[in-house]
Amino acid sequence: MAGSSMGEDENPVAINVTPLVDVIFCLCVFFMISFKFKQLEGKFDSWLPKGKGAAGSVQIEGILDEVRVAMFWDEVNQRTVRQLGTRRVDSDEELSDLIKEGHDAWVRMNKPDTPVTIDAEARVPWNDVITVMNLCKKNRIDKIEFALGAPPPPGSQ
Amino acid sequence: MSRKRKAMVVQESVSCNLIPMVDIMFLLLLFFMLGADMTQREQADLVLPTASEIKENDKVKTEEPTTTVNIQHTDNGGGKCPINASGGYCRETDHWAIVIRGREIPRPVLKDQLKAEADEALEPDVDPAAGVRLSARKIIIRADRAAPYGDVNKIIEVAGQVGIYKIEVGAAVPPKG
Repeated sequence: MAGSSMGEDENPVAINVTPLVDVIFCLCVFFMISFKFKQLEGKFDSWLPKGKGAAGSVQIEGILDEVRVAMFWDEVNQRTVRQLGTRRVDSDEELSDLIKEGHDAWVRMNKPDTPVTIDAEARVPWNDVITVMNLCKKNRIDKIEFALGAPPPPGSQ
Repeated sequence: MSRKRKAMVVQESVSCNLIPMVDIMFLLLLFFMLGADMTQREQADLVLPTASEIKENDKVKTEEPTTTVNIQHTDNGGGKCPINASGGYCRETDHWAIVIRGREIPRPVLKDQLKAEADEALEPDVDPAAGVRLSARKIIIRADRAAPYGDVNKIIEVAGQVGIYKIEVGAAVPPKG
């Protein structure tokens, strides 16, 4: 370590530690200011179907085998309105139960791969979409689909 | 008889012992240097939505080609957005930017950018389902919690169009307790 506790008689050549302290102070201040506690991050896998990509070219006919959660943005109240079928759902617990009920009904009909489709309006905050994905994962539903807008007509691009 | 005696001059050297301070400052410096994360240029500074069921990021980085697409609020057009500053949900499209490696990507060129990224890492074989060589690149979408879903939707849509099918969405682990 720099410096010495010995007397000057024993060590006549003393190292001046003041510039060292100054520099370390500066470095300390720099790193303290730039230091940030990082929030632990993770991710949801949401791989697209290989054959279709996200072209949205699937023609929808008849009744869809899915549990569809519709999400709308209420501009006046600045909040998201969630609907499952025609039923408006406000609380997360109720939505979780309804998703589970809906999915279980498909499982009983031998269609365990039935997805939960999130059909959200463009203005809905991402946080609310993640909340619905999280509820699906809590109910062990891995197949989650995002409803995309209709593709542009051929030749329009 | 002179009782005068020469007063003994005792020179006491009062000096501050800096060594313990230097030791502690070295330790602090080491702590902050190791804690500082200078390698996160891909990840923009934004508030992720929280989700309890997410898979935590792997500690070991894989060699898989990955592109992180951030959706973050910017105060484009000058002035600070009062809605975002107050913690509200800003719905101005111009205020939300798609950022890749610290560079804002205008929406009209997003497809070209992702196409270039996809073509850099094509899978070796033609995918039987798609009939083309898909991209082995993975896209991680890191969107601010208040970001409009439409922007995330757009990225997923464009990724599908350019042959990227590996998509992950980022979220934060909720604080415990």
